[in-house]
Amino acid sequence: MSQRQEPIEVPVAPPWKRDFPYEALSEEEVTRREFARYLVLGAGTIAVANVGIAAWTQLRSINAGEPRAITPLADVAVGEPHLFRYPGDDDPAILVRLSDTDVVAFSQKCTHLGCVVYYEPHQERWHCPCHEGYFEVRTGNVISGPPTRPLGRIDLEVRDDGMIWALGRQT
Amino acid sequence: MRASERARRTSSAVVLYVIILVAFQVFLITVAVEAFQTDAESLAWATAAVSVALFAAAAAFLRYLRP
Repeated sequence: MSQRQEPIEVPVAPPWKRDFPYEALSEEEVTRREFARYLVLGAGTIAVANVGIAAWTQLRSINAGEPRAITPLADVAVGEPHLFRYPGDDDPAILVRLSDTDVVAFSQKCTHLGCVVYYEPHQERWHCPCHEGYFEVRTGNVISGPPTRPLGRIDLEVRDDGMIWALGRQT
Repeated sequence: MRASERARRTSSAVVLYVIILVAFQVFLITVAVEAFQTDAESLAWATAAVSVALFAAAAAFLRYLRP
């Protein structure tokens, strides 16, 4: 009783290989599966990095800041902005004195792509020059442009000694 | 089509899918950095979730490759 044998497949070189019969020394050292495994490993590394970035973003926004003295109210003229850092030393912030007693402050980072915003005294609005985003001066709400979220507001208090205090940042 | 030819084409397709997924992962990390710069936590977490899902898909594709 004879068993049927499977035909042996003889590998046939493709025409390009016959025309160009050269091989690199390490050509056969990485298999297709190994190459795919490296890619998946890279994808895993990027996934871990993305989770880390998300956690970092979350932790950073939790830091609303401790109460801190910013500057004397008398040193800020009406209609003039004042730059400071809050809640951390890497967080640019800006305040503007709108009247004798009215002071507002916001994170200076535009909520579109993180450019710094400036105060436009004539139009009384915040302006992001990168992509022409505009925000309301008192609320930080978006007036026009690509941003979709308001500026991060910083609560202020003018104390009896005339010093402006930052009390915390609203996200 | 012979079985070996089909297997070779299948593995080529799997590698191609994995390459596409990794390319999308590279795009996602730019989105995550952008979310970090603008303090957009929800976008950052959504990006991380999609990135983990893509990694899982890439790992699943790897099982279809011949050893």
